[in-house]
Amino acid sequence: MAKLYAQTAPPMDMNKNTEWFLYPGVWTIYVLILLLSWLLVFSVFGCTPGMAWTLVNLFHFAVTYYFFHWKKGTPFAEDQGIYNNLTWWEQMENGKQLTRNRKFLTVVPVVLYLIASHTTDYQHPMLFLNTIAVAILEVAKFPNMHKVRIFGING
Amino acid sequence: MVRLPYLTALTTLFSYGLLFAFGQMRDFFRKLIDWSKSKGKDLKGYAPICLGLEDFYTRRLYLRIQDCFSRPIASAPDAWIDVVERYSNDHNKTLHRTSNTTKCLNLGSYNYLGFAAADEYCTPLVIESLKKYSASTCSVRVDGGTTNLHTELEELVARFVGKPAAILFGMGYVTNSAIIPALVGKGGLIISDSLNHNSIVNGARGSGASVRVFQHNSPSHLEEVLREQIAEGQPRTHRPWKKIIVIVEGIYSMEGELCNLPEIIAVCKKYKAYTYLDEAHSIGAVGKSGRGVCELLGVDTADVDIMMGTFTKSFGSCGGYIAASKEIIQYLKHTCPAHLYATSMSPPAVQQVISAIKVILGEDGSNRGAQKLASIRQNSNFFRSELQKMGFEVLGDNDSPVMPIMLYNPAKIPAFSRECLRRNVAVVTVAFPATPLLLARARICISASHTREDLMKGLDVISKVGDLVGIKYFPAEPPKHVEQDKKTL
Repeated sequence: MAKLYAQTAPPMDMNKNTEWFLYPGVWTIYVLILLLSWLLVFSVFGCTPGMAWTLVNLFHFAVTYYFFHWKKGTPFAEDQGIYNNLTWWEQMENGKQLTRNRKFLTVVPVVLYLIASHTTDYQHPMLFLNTIAVAILEVAKFPNMHKVRIFGING
Repeated sequence: MVRLPYLTALTTLFSYGLLFAFGQMRDFFRKLIDWSKSKGKDLKGYAPICLGLEDFYTRRLYLRIQDCFSRPIASAPDAWIDVVERYSNDHNKTLHRTSNTTKCLNLGSYNYLGFAAADEYCTPLVIESLKKYSASTCSVRVDGGTTNLHTELEELVARFVGKPAAILFGMGYVTNSAIIPALVGKGGLIISDSLNHNSIVNGARGSGASVRVFQHNSPSHLEEVLREQIAEGQPRTHRPWKKIIVIVEGIYSMEGELCNLPEIIAVCKKYKAYTYLDEAHSIGAVGKSGRGVCELLGVDTADVDIMMGTFTKSFGSCGGYIAASKEIIQYLKHTCPAHLYATSMSPPAVQQVISAIKVILGEDGSNRGAQKLASIRQNSNFFRSELQKMGFEVLGDNDSPVMPIMLYNPAKIPAFSRECLRRNVAVVTVAFPATPLLLARARICISASHTREDLMKGLDVISKVGDLVGIKYFPAEPPKHVEQDKKTL
């Protein structure tokens, strides 16, 4: 089988915590992990496909909110703590807003929400939970929310 | 230019995601268990030594494969080296040394010219100087630490490198991190290559100057950054910069690539920026007479303002030097804290460098220096071309003795390292955060003391392990007739 090779210039990001996101293959693997987890949830829990999508959406919300918008700093000590006050989302691409990667990460929760609400036929209570999840995620990703800490939470 | 198979990129990201997820789960349960066990710890009111998150990588990823790093050795790092065996009872959290050693082929030491082990010309002179000057001067350079060995080496280094004067330091890392703050301060600008060594990054951070980074080895991006910065000036006041220094390395140790020196020097001269060349890996190892990248690429040494190098790699000693004009060296001798307050280089180490340089220049009366230089060039080119023929992805330019073999997936790092050790080949593997996340590699350093049999054994083992681990990412060339191979070399 002929191998597909990806070729890029090495990205210029000095922050080793976020630099990996600029390499080829990240968007693909993100979408693939979501599809794989839907398959897993669907086969393990034996629920309806809509319920599985709702569970994937909520789990995705919990994980991405915690790691992108709550946890601050970097998981290694080599950068001497210069990013200790910034969440991963704020560290991405040096704080530059509205880049392609940020737009991709903003679109994914919306697409998940649409799929989840469509496959559950817009029923309660799934619709409510899905809407809350996507609303919180989307507000957190607004450019105006850069470095904003509401009521000093997580400051 | 980063080139990797697409499927490998996907699987590497997935593996790291899995490792990260497992690490977070274990951390979560550890916190739960600790919280439920200890109600009322006696360390109330004390801040934790490290925030839980900043040692996450060390605790959950590095410790799992700890046995591949920091292996203790029990002999001089010659072409063959004795590696101490270790065992662990708790899945690599703690390692215990045994008293057994294994003799392995050494493909990891920076022993470019073979001076790391006993040498017939250098070692007797070093032992003599140990008896005469003792192991340490026990003093700083400005007090009582300058012996005539130190002045002799400074003149010899200046002559070897091709600059008017030189200054020595006891430690290679310190040479960068203590000199850069002495050269440039607040109000200055440092433009450094994006893949520069940690010592340069440290020195740049400690200097207080503004630091900008340009894309690795790209003179066009350097020109862009220079034009932008010169036009803008200092951050808030927009006054012109007091000084602009561009810092590059001769051979980048993680890529094995040579610097694009002629174009970068041309750009710096056009915009009147100073240049600082770090030749830690290239001095003594490349160039027709071993004088480094300037000789190899045909750059006049008068065009590079400051040339830095270390004695650890090609000369088998320790310490570093800076070679520049007489005025700069005089200024550094008065201001650099590594010269004013740090202990001077150990006299036997100085003698080792003096003898090594004499061998390289041929001033010891034999042609061993020229033989060593030819040997390392032939060995590196042979090894690199053979590895590429086998289908490995090998980085680095021709003539460079450093060749990283790309591994990519995190699980292949310990697999490659342990399988090679089992077959008596000692290699060094490098992963995140020394390299970018996706680009883990095994770094091979070739030495002039490797014989052709050693290299064939190394190639054989690496090929077998490569098949086992699955790192032959490129199609292998069909085997040519053996004699044709030897003739082309």
